Amino acid sequence: MFRRLKSVFSNFVERVASIAFSKEKLLGELEELKLELLSNDVALEVAEDISSKLNKAIEDNVVKSREKLVEYLKETILGYFREAGSIEFDKAVRSERPFKIVFLGVNGVGKTTTIAKIAYYLKEKGLKPLMVAADTFRAGAQEQLKIHGDRIGVPVFTGRYGVSPASVAFDSIAYAKSRGFDVVLIDTAGRMHTDVDLVEELRKVVKVVKPHMKILVVDALTGNDAIEQARFFNEKVGVDAVVIAKVDAYEQGGVPVSIVYAIKKPILFIGVGQDYKDLKLFDPIEYLERILPA
Amino acid sequence: MVLDGLRRIVRNFIESREYETSVNEFVKELQKELIRSDVNVRLVMDLTKKIKERAAEERPPPGLTRRDWFLSIVYEQLVNLFGGPERPQVKPPKKPWVVLLVGLQGSGKTTTAGKLAYFYKLEGYKVGLVAADTFRPGAYEQLKTLGEAVGVPVYGEPGSKDAVSIAVKGVEFFREKGFDVIIIDTAGRHHREEDLLAEMEDIAGRVRPDEVVLVLDASIGQQAFEVASKFHNKTPVGSIIVTKLDGTAKGGGALSAVAATGARIKFVGTGEKIDELEVFDPKRFVARIMGLGDLEGLLERV
Ligand SMILES: Nc1nc2c(ncn2[C@@H]2O[C@H](COP(=O)(O)OP(=O)(O)OP(=O)(O)O)[C@@H](O)[C@H]2O)c(=O)[nH]1
Ligand SMILES: Nc1nc2c(ncn2[C@@H]2O[C@H](COP(=O)(O)OP(=O)(O)OP(=O)(O)O)[C@@H](O)[C@H]2O)c(=O)[nH]1
Ligand SMILES: [Mg+2]
Ligand SMILES: [Mg+2]
Repeated sequence: MFRRLKSVFSNFVERVASIAFSKEKLLGELEELKLELLSNDVALEVAEDISSKLNKAIEDNVVKSREKLVEYLKETILGYFREAGSIEFDKAVRSERPFKIVFLGVNGVGKTTTIAKIAYYLKEKGLKPLMVAADTFRAGAQEQLKIHGDRIGVPVFTGRYGVSPASVAFDSIAYAKSRGFDVVLIDTAGRMHTDVDLVEELRKVVKVVKPHMKILVVDALTGNDAIEQARFFNEKVGVDAVVIAKVDAYEQGGVPVSIVYAIKKPILFIGVGQDYKDLKLFDPIEYLERILPA
Repeated sequence: MVLDGLRRIVRNFIESREYETSVNEFVKELQKELIRSDVNVRLVMDLTKKIKERAAEERPPPGLTRRDWFLSIVYEQLVNLFGGPERPQVKPPKKPWVVLLVGLQGSGKTTTAGKLAYFYKLEGYKVGLVAADTFRPGAYEQLKTLGEAVGVPVYGEPGSKDAVSIAVKGVEFFREKGFDVIIIDTAGRHHREEDLLAEMEDIAGRVRPDEVVLVLDASIGQQAFEVASKFHNKTPVGSIIVTKLDGTAKGGGALSAVAATGARIKFVGTGEKIDELEVFDPKRFVARIMGLGDLEGLLERV
C-alpha cells in the first residue's frame, strides 16, 4: 500500500546519504565493516578479499552510501555461495542404492554426532540407513556410535579397535548391499590434516568405498583455521559438501563464508544442538541476515 | 602456535632503514598476525595501541638502541598477553589436589584428563580419574580405556544420569583411599546452554575443586573470549589447557581466554597420544616466536 511512498522516502534518504558520504567516509566505513567481519570469524584472507572488492566499488563510484555498501557486501558474500553451487540432499541420496557417504574432519568437530543426526533424518524420510563405525582408533568411538544407533533405532556396523578403517568400511558396503540398506554413513576418526599417515589412511578408506559423497564436518567456533582445514581435506581427499556443527554455540560465526570461499563447495546442513533433530538444512540468505550489520 | 610469522616481522623491522616508519609497519603486521592467530580483535587493537603509546612516550635507557628498546617493549607486552612472566605452577600445592576439567563440546577434555593422569603419575603422584560426563554417549568407556592405558583407576557409574553425584562420590572414593591428584572429566557444554552451565556450577559447588581447568581447542576463533568469560563467571577458571596444537591452528583464542579470565595457560596438547602434553612457559615461548636468541641478554640491559 505504502510501497510507493516508501520508495520515494528511501530514495531521498539515499540521495542525502550519498551527499553526506564522501569517498573517505565510505572507506572508513569499509574499515569498520572489515573489523566487524573479522570479529565474526570471517577468516582474514576472506575479509581482505571482500574488502578489496568493496574498495574497488567505492573507487569506481558504484557504491555511494552506507546502505549501498552493506548491500554490496551482501551481494559479494552471496556470490561466494552461488559459486559453491548447491546439492539437493534428499534427491541425491535416492540416486543410488546404497548411497555411500564418508564423513571427514579434524578431531572433535562433531562427525559422529552429525552422522547420527543424518541417520535419524533419513530414517524419518522413510529411508533405511546404516551407520559404520570406521573409527577404530579413538577410545570409546565404537561405543559412542553404537549407543547412538540404539537410541535412534538405526543399525551400526562396527569394527574392532586397531583394525584398519578401510577394511571395516569395505566390509560394511558388502553388508549394506546384501541387506538392502539405502544409505551408508561412514564415520572416520578425527585427524589433523597435518598428519600424513592418517591422511593416507583416509585416502585408503575413500579408495575402497568409492563414496558418492564426501562430507567435511567443521566446527562453527573455528577461527582462521577453517580455511586450512577445508583446503587441505579438499585437496588431499576431496570434499563434495560441508556440514557445520555446533552452530547453536555461534549463530553469527563466519565459518560458512570462509569455507565456501576457500573450497567452493556447498554447505548442506548445520548442527544446532546435541539432539538428533538438531540438524537443519543450510540457508545462505537466512545465515547472511545473522552475520551482517543491519 | 600463535604468531609463528612474528620472526619474519621482527627481522624486517631490524633490517629496515627508518625507525618511525618501521615501527608503524611492524605494528600493522603484528596486528595481522595476531588476528590471523585468532586473538580477539579488540584485544589486538588494545595491545598494539599500548605498544605504540609506550614507544612514543617512554625513552630508551642509556646504552640501548631505539630499535632494541622497542623490541623489548613488544616482548613485554606479548608476555603480558600470555598472562605474565612467571612460570606456571604445575606441582600440586596440597594433597589431594582436585582438578575439574570443563570446556566446550569436543575441546579435548576427556583426552586431556588421560594425559594429565599420565603426567602426574610419572611425577610420582597417586592419581584417580572421575567420569562425570553422563551426557555424551560412550564418555565413560572412553575415559575407562584411557585410564587403563596409563594404569590409573577410573571412578564411574555407567548408566547413571547424575553427574553431580558421580563427581561427589568419585572424589570421596579417591580421597578416602589417600590419592594425591583427582581429575574430574565433565560433559562438554557451551556458553549458551544454561542447563548444562548450571550443572557445572553445581558440580563445582559440591566438589569444591582446587583447580578448575578450562580446556580450549587451539582452533577456536573470536568466540573464545565470550566463552571463557561465561565459564569463568559460573566457575572461576584457575588455568587453561590448549589442545590440538599439532594442527595448523594457532591457538590465539586461548590468549583471549587468558585475558578474559586472568588464568594462565599451564599445558598445551600436541597430539592424540597420551604423552603429547607439554608444560607451557610464556617467556620462553615469546622469546622463541620473536626469533631473538639473545633476547634475555637484551632484556637484562633494559
Ligand atoms: N552443542 C552442540 N554440540 C554438538 C553438536 N554436534 C556435536 N556436538 C558435540 O560435540 C562433541 C564432539 O562430537 P563428536 O560427534 O564426538 O565429534 P567427532 O568429530 O566425531 O570427534 P572425534 O571422532 O573424536 O574426532 C560431542 O559432545 C557432541 O555432543 C552441535 O551441533 N551442537
Ligand atoms: N590432534 C590432537 N587431537 C586431540 C588432542 N587432544 C584431544 N584430541 C582429540 O580431539 C577429539 C575430542 O577429544 P575428547 O577428549 O573426546 O574431547 P571432549 O572435550 O572430552 O569432548 P566432549 O566430552 O564430547 O565434550 C578426540 O578425537 C581426541 O583424540 C590434541 O592435543 N591433538
Ligand atoms: Mg567421532
Ligand atoms: Mg569428553
